[in-house]
Amino acid sequence: MLRRMTAILTIVALTGWPQSEAAVSAALSTESVWAQQGAAAEPLVIVVNRSNPVDDLSMAELRRIFLGNRSHWANGRRITLVMRDPDEPERKTILRDVCGMNEDQLKNHFLHGLFTGEILVSPKTLSTPTGVRKFIFNVPGAIGYLRVSDLDDTIKIVRIDELFPNDKGYKLHVQNQVGN
Amino acid sequence: MGRFHAIFRRLRGRLLVTGCLAALSCSSLGGQQAGNDQAVDKATLQLLLVRIDQLEARVRQLEADRQRPVPASGAPSAAAATPPATEAAAPALARAASQTAAAPASAPAAPASATAPEPDQTQSENVMAERMDLSKTLLRIRGFGDISLHGDTQKGDTTSFSLGQLDLFVSSDVSDKFKFLSEIVFEAGASNYYGVSSGSENAFDVDVERYLLQYSHNDYFNISAGRGHTAIGYYNTAYHHSTWLQTTTGRPFLFNFEDQGGILPIHTVGASANGLIPSGRLGLHYVAEVGNGRASRTPLVEEPVQNEVDDQNHKAFNIALFARPEAIPGLQTGFSIYRDVLAPVNAPRIGETILAAHAVLIRPKYEWLNEALLDRHAVNGTSSVFNTPGFYSQVSKQFGDYRPYLRYQYVNVANNEPVFSDVALRHGPSLGLRYDASESVALKFQYDYTFLRSQPNVNALELQLGFTF
Repeated sequence: MLRRMTAILTIVALTGWPQSEAAVSAALSTESVWAQQGAAAEPLVIVVNRSNPVDDLSMAELRRIFLGNRSHWANGRRITLVMRDPDEPERKTILRDVCGMNEDQLKNHFLHGLFTGEILVSPKTLSTPTGVRKFIFNVPGAIGYLRVSDLDDTIKIVRIDELFPNDKGYKLHVQNQVGN
Repeated sequence: MGRFHAIFRRLRGRLLVTGCLAALSCSSLGGQQAGNDQAVDKATLQLLLVRIDQLEARVRQLEADRQRPVPASGAPSAAAATPPATEAAAPALARAASQTAAAPASAPAAPASATAPEPDQTQSENVMAERMDLSKTLLRIRGFGDISLHGDTQKGDTTSFSLGQLDLFVSSDVSDKFKFLSEIVFEAGASNYYGVSSGSENAFDVDVERYLLQYSHNDYFNISAGRGHTAIGYYNTAYHHSTWLQTTTGRPFLFNFEDQGGILPIHTVGASANGLIPSGRLGLHYVAEVGNGRASRTPLVEEPVQNEVDDQNHKAFNIALFARPEAIPGLQTGFSIYRDVLAPVNAPRIGETILAAHAVLIRPKYEWLNEALLDRHAVNGTSSVFNTPGFYSQVSKQFGDYRPYLRYQYVNVANNEPVFSDVALRHGPSLGLRYDASESVALKFQYDYTFLRSQPNVNALELQLGFTF
């Protein structure tokens, strides 16, 4: 009980008073879910700029976006795709679970799409979660991905198939390497 | 300035609360008996002390920022406005969860907090500054090339090493909505316009094969103007002047370039609109093009693509529709209708209609391309109509770095066809193997057997090294 109270008060202290106790409970329950999973798999969260009106994307829409086949948001703003460096576990998750391609295939896909003119811009590649957060914070049309532990309130979480990262059935999880 | 005060006050308040928590944790340690719990609480205490250090550093940073003059734009940097992730991971999820509970799925997001800078303004200023900086180039250049060894049994041909097209693909984001792209091709060898050869066999020429300014409004409406590849069928817009991107060593007969004996108006100079048609999971797209069409003087000894002057006021137009259904990733089916009027010198005009249909399945591991078309020439003032049918089917599958492929193609031009007098009937299989030696270099070996009307059949072998750089 003391630990729970301490945790709640710590969140209050660090972030300001939350919107409701339910919100805090949701956050805590999320953390407990990761703990139960033994950190073997951590949810990968799709994030956008806070001004983006999109709340939810289907997996098919996400695939089109991450393959560059959809180039604009519904409000007409151009989509800017943010990817992590090759070989990062987060990127591997996106390639495997969203794009269905390996690194070479993705490269060829974008090269081909840029060559035909169907893809307007190639993804922006950033090496750190902080870089991803800052870029998405600054670019209204940006979309990227982060681990739950890398989130902050400067960016907005998008549900995938109407599921939040802590919901049962959420499909995107980063497989943490054993021994790390 | 008021914003900094607010942040400062908030952080100071948090610091106090965190300090109290640290004290609370310390006092609670004394009452705990279990060694394990004590160890955990020590860790918590250590964490809180670290956080206090971080917050103190943050306060010092904000105080230092207050001493600096405020920028004219009033927009703080992203780094200063972006808190560390560990501070706010929980509220980000919590806020998202509460949004779900409180608002319908389609509801717009809450506006950015009052402390956040205007992202639009920050981004547009950065981008504009970059574009206005004349010391930087906005061009992106990607090169493609190939080198081949080719031999065949056709009379008069010799086994030769050949330099393929050196293709410089140049693109630039002119603005947020406008983009420029072009293909500048250095090409050796004589030109062959419908059977009429011209130029030296070993000299290089330069062609601007694509030259397009594109305006992208949204997914449903994009327009472009300039010289591009006509949206007839699939292959012509999916593969341009790079052999490296193609599975095989060359294009199908049907889609050969005009200066290599091709029968279709591969290039158009004009304007084009394209985009998505609201059709849900069906994924319908449209393309509408209008342009100069191709020159129709007979005999042709010059570039058939009318880059500067059209030989008549009539314009060629092309309409294409295709679907990419969501249920079958990689599938595309569609058709197109192209209409033009050719105006040969000292001869009746010829109405040209090209009907094309395609069904292709492209997956990372395999591809299956199928296209068929009918090129119909109707001589005005007579009942003469000449139909030229053609098709090809190509299949390939990837095994590691190897991709064997098979293609069968067919074109049948009537002997007395008024425009394509040299093509006649040609059909036959091609069998080959592509080996990706690296992510940017491909080695291809291809065998072709071609049946020709009234001529000996031709066996051909080609070894090609295609690359991108």
